[in-house]
Amino acid sequence: MDPLTSTFNRAEVRKLGLRFAPALIETIETVTHLAAFTLITLATGWTRFGQNSRVIRPRTLHEIYRSGVQLLPIVGFLGIALGVVFVGQTLALMQQVGASGFSGTLIVTVFIRELAPLTAGLVVLARVGTATVIELGTARALGEVEALEALGVDPIHYLVLPRVVGFTTSVLCLSLYLILLTLTSGYAFAFTRGLKISPTEFFGSIALALSWLDFPVLLAKTTSFGAVIGLIICYHGLARPLALDEVGQATTRTVGHCVIACLLLDALFIALYLFL
Amino acid sequence: MSTLPIITLDGVRILHPHNPKTSLLNDVSWQVEAGSFWVVAGLQGSGKSALLETIAGIRPQASGSVQLFGETIPVRSDDALALTEIRRRMGLLFKGNGRLFPSLSVLENLALPRCYHRNETLSEAASDLAPLIDYLELDGLLEQIPSHLGSSWSRRVALGRALAQQPELILLDNPLSGLDTTQLRWWRNFLRDASRGHPALGGHPLTLVITTDELTPLLPLGHQFALTHAGRWTVLGDRASVHTARSQEGVREILGEIH
Repeated sequence: MDPLTSTFNRAEVRKLGLRFAPALIETIETVTHLAAFTLITLATGWTRFGQNSRVIRPRTLHEIYRSGVQLLPIVGFLGIALGVVFVGQTLALMQQVGASGFSGTLIVTVFIRELAPLTAGLVVLARVGTATVIELGTARALGEVEALEALGVDPIHYLVLPRVVGFTTSVLCLSLYLILLTLTSGYAFAFTRGLKISPTEFFGSIALALSWLDFPVLLAKTTSFGAVIGLIICYHGLARPLALDEVGQATTRTVGHCVIACLLLDALFIALYLFL
Repeated sequence: MSTLPIITLDGVRILHPHNPKTSLLNDVSWQVEAGSFWVVAGLQGSGKSALLETIAGIRPQASGSVQLFGETIPVRSDDALALTEIRRRMGLLFKGNGRLFPSLSVLENLALPRCYHRNETLSEAASDLAPLIDYLELDGLLEQIPSHLGSSWSRRVALGRALAQQPELILLDNPLSGLDTTQLRWWRNFLRDASRGHPALGGHPLTLVITTDELTPLLPLGHQFALTHAGRWTVLGDRASVHTARSQEGVREILGEIH
C-alpha cells in the first residue's frame, strides 16, 4: 500500500474517532444510567407495592386519565384517518388486483402488529410525554424533589411509578382503541365506495390472519412501549439536577431517545416473530 | 432535659454545589442536644443552607460523618427506607418560599406527609391537622394554590408541611428574611412556643436549628450560636459568648454592625 495513502487513512480514522468518541461515550453512559434508573424503579415498585395507596392510587388514576382518556379524541381522529387512508385503500386496491384474500394478512402484518402500537406510543409521547419532561425537569430545577425527600416521600414512588403505570396502561388501551376504530372506519369507507365485501368476510379475513402469538406479543409490545416511554421521560426529567434553561434540551433529547427506543424494541419484536 | 445528641457532625466537609472543586464548609464538628435551640449565623453564600441539607441527608458531604437520632446518614442513600424513617422525625423548612408543590392546594401541601406516611385520606389528615392549621392562621387559605400566596404566607404553609408529622427536630433555613413586622412578630412567637412546647406543635419542646444572615432578631431567642464564615465553622456558644466574640471576623457583620 502507498505509505502516503495509508498515513492519510489513519489520520482520517483518528479524526473520525475523535469526533464520534464523546458521542459514543455519552450514549453508553445514558444507556447505563437508564438501565440503573429502570432497576431502581422496578425495585421501588416491588418493595412498595400497595403501600401509601391513598396517595399513589389517585395519582396513578390521574396519569391514566391524562395520558389515556384525554387522548381519546385525537387517537379517535387518527384511527378514522388511518382507516380511510390505509385500510380503505388497501381493500380497494387488493380487490382491483384480485387479491382480496390477502387483505387481512396485509392489515394484520402492517397495521395491527406494527403501526398501531407505534402510533399510540408516539401520540402519547408527543401530547403528554413532552409536557411531563418539562413538568418533572422544572420540579427538579426548583428543588421540589429535594422537598419530597425531606418529607420522607420517595420521589420514585411518588413521581415516577404513577407515570410509568399510567403511560403503560394508556399505550395498551389506546392501541386497542386505535385498531378497533381504524378497522371499522376503513371498512365503512370501503363500503361507501362500493366495495363488494361483507363485514363477516372482512373481519373474518383479519381473524384468520391473526395467529395465537399476536395476542401476547401485541400485549407485550404495547406495554413495553408505554413503560419505556414513561421511564425515559422520568429519567430525563428527574435523574440529574437540571437548570431551568436545560429543561428544553432535556425535552428534545427525550423525544429522540423515546423514538429510538421504540424502534429498537419494535425490531426486537419483529425478530421474535421471525424466530417463533 | 435529655442530653442525647439529636445531631452529631464529625469532620464534615461540604462542597460547593456549582463548583465541586471548592469547599463551602470545612471540618464541621458539632453536637445538637435534644430540646436545644441553635442559631447558625453567617453571611449569604457561607454554606448555611448546604449545612441544613447535609444534615437532612439531601446533599451528601464530601467527607466526615453525619448522625441523626443516633443513626448515620449514608453518603449514598442506599438504604432509602431507613432514611425515610429518620426523615419522619425531622422537618426541614427550605429558604424563600419553602419549595411548596405548585400543583397541590395549600391543604394538599400540608396534608401530603400525613397522607403518604399514615395512608390517611385528605379529610382525615385535615381533621388531624386542624389545631396546627388554626395555630398557623391558614384557615382561609386552604383551597388556594401556592402561586396565589405571598412569599411570607408560602413560607408559613411550608412550615406547616414541615410540622405536619409532629417532628422532634426542625431545621429552619433563614425563615425571618424579608418579613414585615407583623409576620416577624408571629415567627418570633412561634420560635418561642416551639422551643418551650405548645399543644398545637405536639406538646413537647422541639429541637430547633435555625439559620440566619442577620443575628439581631434571634439573639434574645436562641440558646446556642454558631457561625459559618469563609469556609470555617465556629461554635460561638451561648448569648454572652456572642457578645464576647463581636470583635471576631464575621460576627460584626451578622450582628448588623457595618461600621
